Amino acid sequence: MQSTYTVTGMTCGHCVAHVTEEVQAVPGVTEVLVTLEGGRMVVTSEAPVDFDAVKEAVAEAGEYVVVPA
Amino acid sequence: MPTTVSTHPDARESIVLDVTGMTCASCAARIEKKLGKVDGVSASVNYATNKALVLAPAGMAVADLIKTVESAGYGASVPVPDAPAPPDPAELLRRRVTVSAILAVPVILLGMIPALHFPGWQWVSLVLATPVVAWAGWPFHRSAWVNLRHGATTMDTLVSLGTIAAYLQSVYALVWGSAGRMGAEVYFEAAVGIVTFILLGRYFEARARRSAGSALEALLNEGAKQATILRDGAELLVPADVVKVGDLIVVRPGEKIAADGVIVEGISAIDASLITGESVPVDVAPGAAVVGGTVNTTGRLLVQATRVGADTQLAQMARLVEQAQTGKAAVQRLADRVSGIFVPVVIVIAILTGVAWAIAGVGAMAAITTAVAVLIIACPCALGLATPTALLVGSGRGAELGILISGPEILESTRLVDTIVLDKTGTLTTGVMSVANVVPLDGTDPAQLRDVAAAVESGSEHPIGRAIAAQGSPLVSTDFAAVPGRGVTAQVGDLSVQAGSLALLEDHGVGVPAALSEAAAAESAIGRSIVLVAWDGQARGLVSVADTPKPTAAKAIAAYLALGLRPVLLSGDSTAAAQHLAVQLGITDVVAEVSPADKVAKIRELQAAGATVAMVGDGVNDAAALAQADLGIAMGSGSDAAIAASDLTLMGSDPVHAADAIRLSRVTLRRIKGNLFWAFAYNVAAIPIAAAGLLNPMIASAAMAFSSVFVVSNSLRLRRFQPLP
Repeated sequence: MQSTYTVTGMTCGHCVAHVTEEVQAVPGVTEVLVTLEGGRMVVTSEAPVDFDAVKEAVAEAGEYVVVPA
Repeated sequence: MPTTVSTHPDARESIVLDVTGMTCASCAARIEKKLGKVDGVSASVNYATNKALVLAPAGMAVADLIKTVESAGYGASVPVPDAPAPPDPAELLRRRVTVSAILAVPVILLGMIPALHFPGWQWVSLVLATPVVAWAGWPFHRSAWVNLRHGATTMDTLVSLGTIAAYLQSVYALVWGSAGRMGAEVYFEAAVGIVTFILLGRYFEARARRSAGSALEALLNEGAKQATILRDGAELLVPADVVKVGDLIVVRPGEKIAADGVIVEGISAIDASLITGESVPVDVAPGAAVVGGTVNTTGRLLVQATRVGADTQLAQMARLVEQAQTGKAAVQRLADRVSGIFVPVVIVIAILTGVAWAIAGVGAMAAITTAVAVLIIACPCALGLATPTALLVGSGRGAELGILISGPEILESTRLVDTIVLDKTGTLTTGVMSVANVVPLDGTDPAQLRDVAAAVESGSEHPIGRAIAAQGSPLVSTDFAAVPGRGVTAQVGDLSVQAGSLALLEDHGVGVPAALSEAAAAESAIGRSIVLVAWDGQARGLVSVADTPKPTAAKAIAAYLALGLRPVLLSGDSTAAAQHLAVQLGITDVVAEVSPADKVAKIRELQAAGATVAMVGDGVNDAAALAQADLGIAMGSGSDAAIAASDLTLMGSDPVHAADAIRLSRVTLRRIKGNLFWAFAYNVAAIPIAAAGLLNPMIASAAMAFSSVFVVSNSLRLRRFQPLP
């Protein structure tokens, strides 16, 4: 299944890489696709992912804020 | 080796890393976070300077920290010390000159002394001359080729053309002709002589050049190297370039402030002469903005950094210097200017000679050899010595007189200097505060006022107080107390004394009579700093302190005027203070209250109006203006940045020497021109001989020898240059 989120605060490709890396590490996540323009993040997972886990992962990546799209 | 800066009670050491690959501030945050996850490590990363300051447990491997940064997707390395110095140009030239001279001496002896001729001597000359012309002369050939592609001819063109012509002609004569007949002589000695002499000249010049150093580097060196920052309540000594905006910097008395910032805590006086050039310290209190690189004089300050790295005022000044230096067009060398006209003329003469002989019916080969003979004789050996010997002797004499010339070729361009711009503080004045006036109120003995003030201030750390105390006093003070930002109080004998600002006197309930306020106003109007003195509840008078003119300042201005220079006073100080000095010294043009950028702008403005400007200065704030001026003259007592940005440095601090420097450069230029005339004259005189087909190696050698002797002896006359009495 796929969930879509919006991430704000990303300014360059590095930010995208950091966010991708951290969210990828959330248990159950199989694929993460982040685009810098618009801050769209599509997370593919086997089972529904707890939003708090995603939020924590994004915060871990840096000074970013994530909301469900 | 990791840059270990300090160890701390918590047994952590700080390590500085260079970080690569950061593209935005969030990259820095990311690396901080990654490093922070390592046990016991905390890090702060500066995106602007690409530096990471890592606090790690003692004994932690730096390689692990680098790996951590790399795992975050960035590169890290231990900062390397500065790159090794580039090879010395004089050293490279020395090799060429040595090899060239060793090979050339036998060739010249063989060429000039017929008694030495043994069978096949020409072939020996050929073997010896080939590397001289081809390898030692290579810089000339290359430069001639580069210039040719731009359609320009310089001295190098003449040298290259002359040596190649002499060499090929000789090879031709040796291989195909029978050397000894008309137009079939060998001129190897001319070829090697020219190369060797001119290389020797270049070597002299390279030697005379002082390693000027980079003004930029010197300027940035004026900044603080280290800073004490507050991190988690603990003081931490770190390299200044890891300080970030928002960091709290602890600045103790005598320390330089590491970044531009705002004072959060503490009262002190700041020596801002770095930026303003003025020696009067500025009193500061919380809320005041301070500039990185300025020196804290008395109290401990806590400064919050607002601008770091490339954004600081010091860095902006460095950029100003850089711009002024790169904007300054290289002076075209006189020898090149003469050659630019001479070479095409010689080539035309050579072609006409060849054509004329061909028409006369001597055969193609004979016509060509005659034409080549014109090219051979046209290249004056002494040309290579004309400028360098004069510069060498001139700059040598200068050094004896305390005038150090960083690039001797600057002497070629100073004849036209018609305006001399002078910095005030440190250039025309001593830059040291001393007592300028003692004004007692009626009924107070001036000697007593002075002695009491000196005794009270003897405990003071404030530069103004120290200037007053410096006069000495027979009296002794006790119970000294400093009131930061206001003044001092003490007991002198039976007297309870206050010395300081109006506010200090008011704090002690002492009224200030109108007469004293008027005297104070009059003193400040001419740029003096005032200390009001009161004892036993009554105002007694004031002592004023000021920077005083150097004893020779007036004489220097008179000397400039005698040289036909227009003096302009350019000062960062108040208009009143600048005007006061200008009137004393007889300067009519005064521009005051200028920033370093304004100084550059003023020089540009004068230049745009057609003036050729010499600038005399000493401060870091003068550096950009010194670089912008046609001739920058720095006081040897001044800052490294000013010295590096200037063309001439005067040992000591006497402004009269600036007049000597300009006189010396004018005389040197006159000698160079005389030399160039003599260098060309003998060879020009020989051109008709060559064109007539009568040239032989003896005539060529004689022209070479005579002009060289003339040039060298003419240059040596510069040794007799005398400074102003």
